[in-house]
Amino acid sequence: MTVIHVFVKQVPDISTLEYDQSSLAPRLEKATQRLGEIDLVALEAAVRIKESLGGEVVVLSAGSGVSELVLREALAMGADKCFYVSDERLSRADSWVTANVLSRLSRRVGSPDLLLCGEASSDEGNYQLGPRLSEALAIPCVTHAVKVELDGNVARVRRALEDRVETLESALPLIVTASLELATPRLPSLLMIRAASRKPLTRIELSELGLSEELVKPLLERVSARILKTTRRNIVLQGEPRECAEKLVESLASEGVIRA
Amino acid sequence: MRPVLMVAGDLDELLELRAFIDLVGASDAKALIPENLLNDGRLSTLGLSRVYSIEALDEAPAEALSTTVAELVRRDGPGIVVAPSKKIFREVFARAAQNLSAPCVTDCVGISLVDDRLVVDRPFLGGGYIERLAVRRLPVLLTVQMQGRRPSARKEEGFEAVRLGRLSVEEGTLRRVSVERSARGGSELGKARVVVSVGRGFKRREDLKLAEELAQLLEAELACSRPIASDLGWMPEEKHVGLSGKWISPQLYIALGISGQVQHMVGVRNSRVIVAVNNDASAPIHKEADYSIPLDLYKFVPALIQVLRERRSRAG
Ligand SMILES: Cc1cc2nc3c(=O)[nH]c(=O)nc-3n(C[C@H](O)[C@H](O)[C@H](O)COP(=O)(O)OP(=O)(O)OC[C@H]3O[C@@H](n4cnc5c(N)ncnc54)[C@H](O)[C@@H]3O)c2cc1C
Ligand SMILES: Nc1ncnc2c1ncn2[C@@H]1O[C@H](COP(=O)(O)O)[C@@H](O)[C@H]1O
Repeated sequence: MTVIHVFVKQVPDISTLEYDQSSLAPRLEKATQRLGEIDLVALEAAVRIKESLGGEVVVLSAGSGVSELVLREALAMGADKCFYVSDERLSRADSWVTANVLSRLSRRVGSPDLLLCGEASSDEGNYQLGPRLSEALAIPCVTHAVKVELDGNVARVRRALEDRVETLESALPLIVTASLELATPRLPSLLMIRAASRKPLTRIELSELGLSEELVKPLLERVSARILKTTRRNIVLQGEPRECAEKLVESLASEGVIRA
Repeated sequence: MRPVLMVAGDLDELLELRAFIDLVGASDAKALIPENLLNDGRLSTLGLSRVYSIEALDEAPAEALSTTVAELVRRDGPGIVVAPSKKIFREVFARAAQNLSAPCVTDCVGISLVDDRLVVDRPFLGGGYIERLAVRRLPVLLTVQMQGRRPSARKEEGFEAVRLGRLSVEEGTLRRVSVERSARGGSELGKARVVVSVGRGFKRREDLKLAEELAQLLEAELACSRPIASDLGWMPEEKHVGLSGKWISPQLYIALGISGQVQHMVGVRNSRVIVAVNNDASAPIHKEADYSIPLDLYKFVPALIQVLRERRSRAG
């Protein structure tokens, strides 16, 4: 039976996030929580593999203030069960700590054939978890996948780099990081949402993972965050296309950004 | 400051890394580059004490390259290791960092010393925010967002060249079955004064001719949003701007049929003038534009081309 571990992260919903007018810092404590956009792409890819080959999709997550309600969305999309760690200490986790926790969690809950995560998380966009897991678990990794096929014990993955598209093959187990283009996450039906409420969701304490102090101590510290604001003039050009084009060319030429 | 190791695939990247590192200074700088770059005369103006070279560095698998980077870090003890923010280098650095129990920060846009603490700035929350991270332990591995920085001139100096040959690709379980090169062409984007950029407002690939014609008249480079390159494959991957693509700062950025999500805008925020053509007056790009044109691009762009032509012919 193919066992797939999918790593999904609870992240603030960027589209509704507010910021503090004086410090310009995001109000993360007030943010609506959701699952990462690319993580759902990875999950969708896993569920499709399960649907065609059979097997089991296990969702793994770590963080602070992790909500079971949010994780149920992953179960509603077709995952079979979920294990998570929620600990205040992880509110300061960097990629080093996250990789140490999740590699230990994955090992503890089974021996997966395929491990899937996003190429970059929606909030931090570190691009690190997959490659770091690869080192921590000594399992090969293919990043930026746009296509994943399993054939017996072999995985075939297409990945897109800036200047080339590569196809790689590997025996399982394998770690794959999903590019946005790998799959389109489904919208769970009411039936699936109802079914999800009966699926097992298990919380595991950080202390149960037996990680040394060294492995849970972050090496980076966020000292500040602020919104990027650029003020633009917002001049709206109204009228017929020809009229607008003339106005635009006039303006750009007088600003000296195009040849008069 | 502790010594620095720079890892780069070409000279442009190396120049930019040098300029980035100069923001905090380095007591000694070494580099790891492709073998074929070793003959470039400009290497001697970068203040390098030693240059390691690898044959076909840009083809090397991430596992092999990260092992080499980790070995060099153990051998020379640099405090900061830098590479351009490209997919392969982010992967190589994340791996090497895990291997070295070290921190790694991707997509850095700034670096400084605050009260003797090394801090780096990078995009956060989809690119709408910038976060500042303090580095608590060295060495730190940083990938740097390429933005066209250039170092100030240095006098020529010799350096020691160490050839590492071709990386032996271990017979691991991972096998590269095929490689398709895509068209290149992102390198000019960083330097362009005018950029015409296309989004999903274009209905068919052939219609990009409109944008090409406009670009030609304005002596502009062509760019695009991520879906045009990644989903549709209408333009090379290297031409997409935004969070996961190029960060550019032209004098003029003309966005045609682009909605203006944060992940796109972070890549063009430093443009001097932004023009948005989008027939949905409520598209977010209109709030981020200097000149906003709420018209159908299929009607507006031909009119713009016509007006520019007429002016050119009048000017003789
Ligand atoms: C982690 C992550 C990283 C990302 N990185 C990037 C990145 O680096 N770069 C990037 O661009 N995106 C990136 N994205 C995607 C980004 O969120 C948007 O989905 C993308 O920028 C949308 O592209 P678009 O504007 O071309 O398409 P759409 O959002 O579909 O917008 C098309 C626009 O065209 C307009 N339009 C339609 N017809 C016409 C017409 N006839 N005339 C005029 N206008 C018309 C529509 O009104 C619409 O606003 C990223 C997303 C994630 C999650
Ligand atoms: N705390 C977490 N819990 C579960 N999955 C995570 C966590 N952090 C990162 N991931 C996964 O790793 C991917 C890459 O994250 P990052 O390396 O932070 O950019 C994300 O898209 C998730 O799939």
